[in-house]
Amino acid sequence: MDHFPLSWGRPRNDALDAFNTYPMHKRPTHHDTFADGVQRTQQPIVTGTSVLAIKYKDGIMMAADTLASYGSLARFKSIQRLHTVGSSTVLGASGDLSDFQYIQSLMEDLIIEEHTAGDHHELGPAEIHEYLAQVLYSRRTKMDPLWNSLVVGGRKDSKNFLAYVDLLGTTYSSSSIATGYGAYIAVPLLRNAVDGRENTLTEEEARKIIVDCMRVLFYRDARSLNKFQISTVTDAGVTISEPIQLETTWSFAEGIRGYGAQTQ
Amino acid sequence: MFLTRSEYDRGVNTFSPEGRLFQVEYAIEAIKLGSTTIGISTKEGVVLAVEKRVQSPLLEASSIEKIMEIDRHLGCAMSGLIADARTMIDHARVTSQNHAFTYDERIKVESVTQAVCDLALRFGESVHDEDAMMSRPFGVALLIAGVDEKGPQLFHTDPSGTFVRYEAKAVGSGSEAAQSELQDKWHKQMTLKEAHILTLRVLKQVMEEKLDQHNVQLAQVTPDKGFEILDEVRLKALIDDM
Amino acid sequence: MPDGSFSHPQQRQFNPYTENGGTILAIAGKDFSVIAGDTRQSEGYSIQTRYAPKVFRLTDRAVLAVNGFAADGNMFVKKVQQRLEWYRHAHAKDMPLGAIARLIQTMLYGRRFFPYYVYNILGGIEEDGTGAVYSFDPVGSYEREACRAAGAAQSLVQPFLDNQIYFKNQQAPAGQSHPLHLPLSDVLAIVIDSFTSATERHIEVGDGLEIYVVLTKGRPTQDLEGYRGVKELTTRPDGDRVFLIQRELKKD
Repeated sequence: MDHFPLSWGRPRNDALDAFNTYPMHKRPTHHDTFADGVQRTQQPIVTGTSVLAIKYKDGIMMAADTLASYGSLARFKSIQRLHTVGSSTVLGASGDLSDFQYIQSLMEDLIIEEHTAGDHHELGPAEIHEYLAQVLYSRRTKMDPLWNSLVVGGRKDSKNFLAYVDLLGTTYSSSSIATGYGAYIAVPLLRNAVDGRENTLTEEEARKIIVDCMRVLFYRDARSLNKFQISTVTDAGVTISEPIQLETTWSFAEGIRGYGAQTQ
Repeated sequence: MFLTRSEYDRGVNTFSPEGRLFQVEYAIEAIKLGSTTIGISTKEGVVLAVEKRVQSPLLEASSIEKIMEIDRHLGCAMSGLIADARTMIDHARVTSQNHAFTYDERIKVESVTQAVCDLALRFGESVHDEDAMMSRPFGVALLIAGVDEKGPQLFHTDPSGTFVRYEAKAVGSGSEAAQSELQDKWHKQMTLKEAHILTLRVLKQVMEEKLDQHNVQLAQVTPDKGFEILDEVRLKALIDDM
Repeated sequence: MPDGSFSHPQQRQFNPYTENGGTILAIAGKDFSVIAGDTRQSEGYSIQTRYAPKVFRLTDRAVLAVNGFAADGNMFVKKVQQRLEWYRHAHAKDMPLGAIARLIQTMLYGRRFFPYYVYNILGGIEEDGTGAVYSFDPVGSYEREACRAAGAAQSLVQPFLDNQIYFKNQQAPAGQSHPLHLPLSDVLAIVIDSFTSATERHIEVGDGLEIYVVLTKGRPTQDLEGYRGVKELTTRPDGDRVFLIQRELKKD
């Protein structure tokens, strides 16, 4: 596709070309800008890594670090990947962050539309999840996916809800969910700590489990950051914390022998 | 009725102040000009009979077709504008075949009747993306006969899209006399043969011409053999038995 | 090219499918039908959840098991259920089993050139009161059978069923013939054995087992009473009846 706005066959516009950098006489007279077709997401560009979430006694807890990577480059270091939807749902995203920003705007439109109905019904986490599953599945069916793994968590009418949906439209729910590397590294730890204790874990215990997993992920996932946010949804509503700095220790690294740059 | 005629009988989609749609009512009137058509439902099957008006000795009587097959288990007799009925029967046939294709089962008599009636009110202005519609109501009444899991059934449809199930029904010019005769003579234990004879007797009473195998048409739908139009040989035998 | 470049630009295409593991099976009896599936959902070597149902009650006489790509499966079941409701409104009755089977074929074939990547097994009671199993491929080929297994452990379970249900490679005792239909208790034992075995030998099978039992109208239920936690899911009295038995499977 031709990305020059002035080649799109519009009248000359100062907002698009304030400094007349494109000589008028050289402007192609007429050609079909979209002849090559429109471009679809073929791969994620600016990405977020794992999202972790668990159920506990009073609600659900979710965490994600604040890094937006551009390939292996740590491009943006304070991007929020947890998003409040309505008053009882939080949405966490990994994968392409521009697609996630589009999803955030979808969520905003949806909540406004439901609010303006004025019927005092609010969409809860289950409805938000079903809606997102339909959106992501229909986009994959159009071969134009939204390149994300999303975790939807919430608490409504004293019932905890935690579920996953991804770019293929695959869904599931579980008492602990992790995306990305978290699915390999954090899930075993989360299941070990949470399974069978969903209704007894306190908020402090849940927080410790989440922080421990975020630390392990930071040690092992090269696309992660030691700065993350924790969100909770309880009967009191949704909270998203300020960024938390992880205390990490690297002194042990010097003692490790057998691989790396050491010569002996 | 013509005393109340007013500007409100012009548009097909304008109610009169009394809440009537004159064009639909006129269409129902038009059927009363049609040839007499009779249907009788029995436990053994349903019988359909029509009068063929052979207006000229030069007319080939066998070319008048007022009873048609919708599917193997469904038949239809008509009175009124026969050309309109062809549109409806075409729709009924497609609906029935589609049902068999999609569900591997015979469509119910009521369902195919409903499908035909869904067409009835598609006149007037079209809405956004719908196809261009008819400019006037259908001018035909149908007697739809069939056999399904609920047994033999007979339905009557009119231009308003209303359908009702009957044990025995007469429509067309001689319908008033015929209907009261059917009311007298129909009974629950009636056999198919008795129904054949009754339709012929009632037709004979209301027809101007002398009834013979050329100016009536008789059909039946039975659980075993489905829809069949009786040929002139069988028809003549029945007339002789009357 | 040897230098790692390409003379033509390479295009990677988005793959709209994945496999979510698990196994389903169904066995028809004379006057009953059993439809079962495990509840594990996985992708690659990861278990996504230990409870994602693959078997669904459609009507009081029809149960559908769906296996393959879970997103397609869930969407397909949703669309079938929608069509069943439309049918109920249009024809004032529940869709018969054979009609559901044909409907599933037309729905699957309708997506012939972008298939639902799912293997369907439909079980239930026919109009004549006999137990039935219909199995489908992803684009709609179908046939009525006495038993069928599909999914990750199909290659483990189907030969076992061939031997136990069809008596393949078994010699009948002299002067006797193999029974045409097995009693419900035998069928349930075979189903449970199939899944415990598949769980042992296949990494994608396990966690939980859901067994649906459909009984023809008026059939006695005493051979179900021996099972723990049988739940009845029937919605209307005096017709065919649906029951659900839930069991645990090994989680490793």
